[in-house]
Amino acid sequence: MLKLIQVEFLKLRRRKFIWLMLLAALFMPLAAVFYFSSVKGTGVDPIMFYKWTAFSYTPWIILPVVLGMLCTMLMYNENQYDMLKQLWIVPVNKMAYFFSKFAVVLVYSICFMLVTATASILTGVLSGYIPFDSESVLYLLRKCMEISLLTAFAVLPVLAVAAAQKGYILPVCLTLIYTFLGFILLMVNMYLHPLSSMTAIVMYDIPGVVFDQPLNIPAAFLCIGVWAAASAVLANVALVRRK
Amino acid sequence: MSDLVIETKKLTKIYGEQTAVNSVNLHVKPGRIYGLLGRNGAGKTTIMKMILGLTPITSGEVDVFGQNIKGHEKRIYPRIGAIIETPGFYPNLTGTENLEIFAKLRGTPQPNAVKNALEVVGLPYKDKKLFSKYSLGMKQRLGIANAILHDPELLILDEPTNGLDPIGIAEVRNFIKNLSVERGKTILISSHILSEISLLADDIGIIDHGVLLEESSMDELEKKNRKYIQLQVSDIPKASLILERQFHVTDYAVQDEHNLRLYDTALDMAAINKALVVQDVAVISSQICNDTLEDYFKQITGGAGIA
Repeated sequence: MLKLIQVEFLKLRRRKFIWLMLLAALFMPLAAVFYFSSVKGTGVDPIMFYKWTAFSYTPWIILPVVLGMLCTMLMYNENQYDMLKQLWIVPVNKMAYFFSKFAVVLVYSICFMLVTATASILTGVLSGYIPFDSESVLYLLRKCMEISLLTAFAVLPVLAVAAAQKGYILPVCLTLIYTFLGFILLMVNMYLHPLSSMTAIVMYDIPGVVFDQPLNIPAAFLCIGVWAAASAVLANVALVRRK
Repeated sequence: MSDLVIETKKLTKIYGEQTAVNSVNLHVKPGRIYGLLGRNGAGKTTIMKMILGLTPITSGEVDVFGQNIKGHEKRIYPRIGAIIETPGFYPNLTGTENLEIFAKLRGTPQPNAVKNALEVVGLPYKDKKLFSKYSLGMKQRLGIANAILHDPELLILDEPTNGLDPIGIAEVRNFIKNLSVERGKTILISSHILSEISLLADDIGIIDHGVLLEESSMDELEKKNRKYIQLQVSDIPKASLILERQFHVTDYAVQDEHNLRLYDTALDMAAINKALVVQDVAVISSQICNDTLEDYFKQITGGAGIA
């Protein structure tokens, strides 16, 4: 398995788009500079600033879309260049193959949120809106880790669909629908969709966040777990069929 | 246990209503080159895919190294190197990087495995050229390098000379031959190019419309190919009459309005020529010929020839 994960990273050499997608991590921190300059001014509470830069649209929309694109790219390239039959006769275990892709998504998700966290600190402190405070920085890093880990698990259904498809159109469309559905269901039932469940887990202790539904963390984990398990089963069936 | 490297029993593949492979019994012996010859779409690739477990079998059985591949993948696959259709690699990586990925996945123990495999196929080691910039011939060579990377006992090569120039074809042919002769590898190779198979194979299987029409060694096939006397004359009906009445020849075939074949090569040709000329049938030529593999292919497939 470790060998497969190493190989997955080797395959990403010279893939410029992977690096370009990381730029999306800078979007909210940079937008915050303009927002706070015109609306709030200086002396903002660091947690409030980070809530805006790292805990809002980044986990709800930006990170899931970026990870969905990454899932599609990881699976589509091997299909496009007819690599699977060469891998199967190595032999490569189909589930190990799927989870090695997931490992890439997980590491990428962590990197993405670390870039967001770093950019949030730099934009906030350098622009003078927030003071540098180690407690709030640690809080930011902890939350970013939670977001990155849970979002990676929450996009497993997209990875499974990408594994089941030869093309990229369906997985890309699904990424967009899946992301926005998660956002919409956040206001209806948080425990139906992995992304809204992820929001429930991550946001419950962020000051100023109010949920209009009763908070049920075990149900949120259960939702993510059930979808992840179903995704793994779908991926296994699809990869076995797709010999 | 069978001493065959590959054995298929009534191997059948049906796609919808189309039978791609019909009850094929293939026997690949150790240390020999088995040439699977057939036109495009005859079912060669499907057979190879079924042998490798890359496509489900509709009915029948496949044994590789005496075992069914299903359930024994971890034991059997490391003993096989294969190219199926055009080999695909990662376009953003160089040839060396691509092979290093497969060496890592296979856990190839030899430190110079990648370098050696590239040397065998005549590709540079640690070259900076990306796979996306490779010519078709270079891609094919890299595919072969990948197939031999882990020094497998059995090579399954689906049209390995596709896209190669004539010199490349000769080079690939030579090293495939060497792999069999010098290193005792068993090779199953498919091609629609008859000359390729006839120059390489020790055993041959002729497949047409999914049916294995013939399976024999090249030596047997050469023996089987009939010798005959090709006679070119001015008047076929009259010549036929003379041959039948005067020489009691019945085993002959009229080719066209000037050519006929006599399958009894022990006939007294001097006497036949003389009799024909005396009875006003001009003899344009007469020579002893041997059926080529192409003639044989035409004969058993009952159709047009092959490249």
